[in-house]
Amino acid sequence: MKYARNIKGVDPVAKRKIFSICMIGLMVLYLWGCSSLYRTQEDSTQEYSSEVEIEENLFPRKAIQIVVPYAPGGGTDSVARALADAAKKYFNKPVLVVNKTGEGGAIGMTEGVNAQADGYTVTMVTSELVTLPNLGLAPFTYSDFQPILQVNEDPAALTVRKDAPWNTVEDFVLYAKNNPDKIRIGNSGEGSIWHFAAADIGKSTKTKLKHVYFDGAAPAVVNLLGGYIDAVTVSPAEVLTHVKNGELKVLGILSAERISSLPQVPTFKEQGYDVAVSTWRGLGVPKNTPEQVVEILEAGFSKAAQDLDFIEIMNQLELGYKVAGRNEFLEIIENHHQAIKVLIEELGMEAANNDK
Amino acid sequence: MRFDLLMQGFANVLQLNVLLMVVLGVTGGIMVGSLPGLTATMGVALLVPFTFGLPINQSMAMLLGIFCGAIYGGSISAILIRTPGTPAAAATLLDGYPLSERGEAGRALSMSVFASFIGGFSGALIMTFLSPQISKVALKFGPPEYFALAIFGLSIIISVSGNSILKGVMAGIFGLTLSTIGLDPISGYPRFTFGQMDLFEGPAFIPTLIGLFALSEIFKGVETILTREKVDNKITQLLPTLADIKKCWKVILKSSILGTFIGSIPGAGSDIAAFVGYSEAKRTSKYPEKFGTGVIEGVAAAESANNACTGGAMIPLLSLGVPGDAVTAVLLGAFVIQGLRPGPLLYRDHMDVVYSVFAAMMVANIVMFIIGALGVKFFSKVITVDRNILIPVIFLLSIVGSYAMRNSIFDVWVAILFGILGYFMQRYDFPASPILLALILGPMAESNLRRALVISKGDISILFTRPISVILLGLAVVSLISSFVKQKRVEKRLAQEESEAAFK
Repeated sequence: MKYARNIKGVDPVAKRKIFSICMIGLMVLYLWGCSSLYRTQEDSTQEYSSEVEIEENLFPRKAIQIVVPYAPGGGTDSVARALADAAKKYFNKPVLVVNKTGEGGAIGMTEGVNAQADGYTVTMVTSELVTLPNLGLAPFTYSDFQPILQVNEDPAALTVRKDAPWNTVEDFVLYAKNNPDKIRIGNSGEGSIWHFAAADIGKSTKTKLKHVYFDGAAPAVVNLLGGYIDAVTVSPAEVLTHVKNGELKVLGILSAERISSLPQVPTFKEQGYDVAVSTWRGLGVPKNTPEQVVEILEAGFSKAAQDLDFIEIMNQLELGYKVAGRNEFLEIIENHHQAIKVLIEELGMEAANNDK
Repeated sequence: MRFDLLMQGFANVLQLNVLLMVVLGVTGGIMVGSLPGLTATMGVALLVPFTFGLPINQSMAMLLGIFCGAIYGGSISAILIRTPGTPAAAATLLDGYPLSERGEAGRALSMSVFASFIGGFSGALIMTFLSPQISKVALKFGPPEYFALAIFGLSIIISVSGNSILKGVMAGIFGLTLSTIGLDPISGYPRFTFGQMDLFEGPAFIPTLIGLFALSEIFKGVETILTREKVDNKITQLLPTLADIKKCWKVILKSSILGTFIGSIPGAGSDIAAFVGYSEAKRTSKYPEKFGTGVIEGVAAAESANNACTGGAMIPLLSLGVPGDAVTAVLLGAFVIQGLRPGPLLYRDHMDVVYSVFAAMMVANIVMFIIGALGVKFFSKVITVDRNILIPVIFLLSIVGSYAMRNSIFDVWVAILFGILGYFMQRYDFPASPILLALILGPMAESNLRRALVISKGDISILFTRPISVILLGLAVVSLISSFVKQKRVEKRLAQEESEAAFK
């Protein structure tokens, strides 16, 4: 009633109604302000880079932020947090993790591309950096990022039930050749890296497989256990416990070398098929970040990646530990991009998405 | 089942430092759960990084505490301010909020905490004794079964339609249409997104929920912000009265079993469980027409089902290594970081950990009951606040909540849009829950139908030749028909009563 008493002649109820409506109006305006602020920040990326050049000798002068395009608690998030934790002592500044989730990683990576190119916003990039743009599902390409460091790589593992009639990749391929479209092979979603892994097997062995898409690797594995599908191509960590328990077996690993968690399983290459598909994680910054800043970032995060605490966490997460410097990382990304592009063309997927 | 290990598990949990973690977790969970936009998933996810350094017992005690606390906490704001703090509480508000509008907030809250406890505790018990058996059933759930489950879930729309089944079905179909926005679940093709990347995943679920329920109520509340009489919500009890318990015990037990089972199916979470429990309570009630107007059984059914789901969701996580819902997916990460990958091997090599988790789950539910009951008086202070202060505060929380989910301003607009929609729906007596159910179940039905057809190479008979899917589809038909028949019978009875009254 306080407000109403001040103004005479106005019905207090009406007065307060007006007040409430004004308050709501203000809030909406504020919100509007927030959203346009958001946009201008992105637009003005270019203007800032000149300022940055003066500062780069002193880099970093404030906290470094790692944008994680996936939800907290997941694999990518855990890697980023462990790396951030290890990195802060090498930069002498805090290293923070911010999760920007959505659209299979596209939101977070878009944010990373559009960040100020001053090195203070580093993005955790994953193999989706290559797959999403090729599918027409992201407004950036891998070349919008400048890679800094790769920290992880996990190959796909062709996994079947223990009682399946195949014991080697050759058995599997032979059966698939004689029974086209008969083997139902599960993956973690159309256009996911594990779909490409299965597609690549089909392509290089010239066999026809029936792809079944699930929302993530875990449901695919359950469906394999339950007998709804015949095989999956997911990372070894996702099937390891069932392999050790004797319910599933791995026929082959899609990588150049055998992996430490399943040393007895031969690679596809050893078995005579040249297929290798891996998922990877690493760090990247917007492409016009000054060279010196990138060098400092690479040096600092390399040390962090060799930190024993970080290696231990990677082992605990059962993630493949692989560190590669920015040049090697860029090469890996480029090769991957080419391979995926060819696969998408052959699968006829790109036409569906690019015409929107 | 090994009792010695269970006892050892209790001994592990009933240590001062572990108990402290449970209390911290539950308290934090209730707070997180009662705030719109901060879900149980988010609460657990945010704390997982802090548990890296803790021993497994303490880490699990805290995280399970948050899980149980948050699922209960969602009901507090659902009952008091018609804002489901978590999606699981959306069914609770159907009867919880009318109760609190009538001045019986205390009754609803105390029943909610009691039902949550019984539900959560039975879920934990079932998990302890029947995990291996139930996980075998969960493995039998392939795409056709999920499709059938989704169809069964959609048949519940009839039960939550309120006065007009037609309006409910309209809202449901609207929801199903909305659920087709975004990337095609099988081919990845963007549908109805107008090239907007923000729409690739469809309208975000939490902001939609906040809009439809919380914001629409705020817009309605603004109309009467000054004129409405304050309801006198006297809180006299911390626990439900014996009469209420007598009325509800059957409903609570049924919901607890249903909830645990639904929780144990990977991909079906506490939101579905709560609606199934609610609808089952309504279907078997003697006065189904009163549901939605503030019936205590409605609160009891929804709350016991969604809390039972916590135990259920742990079953596939522990025994198969596959999370039962979004929260347990995050818990999986918390296990792995400790070097323990849940699954059959955990049962073989780390029985002690498994039994500690069982014990922690039970203790967490007991702690939740104590804190929740003590808190009833304290929570309900919220509605004694002047409405012209309360409403802007809820508005602010709702906006922040919709932003917080994905740090996205787009989601705030989604919430406001659905708020306006929800306001007009309330005004013209359209129920909002069918939209919610359709948004949860639509994608589940679609992707699993198409997956099933891929597996069967286009042969539709795959849906009718498997026992579980046939049973579920049959249940859907039965629940549809029985709801219709019951509705007709109720209409007849009401008409009769009316004419009798007129005659007198």
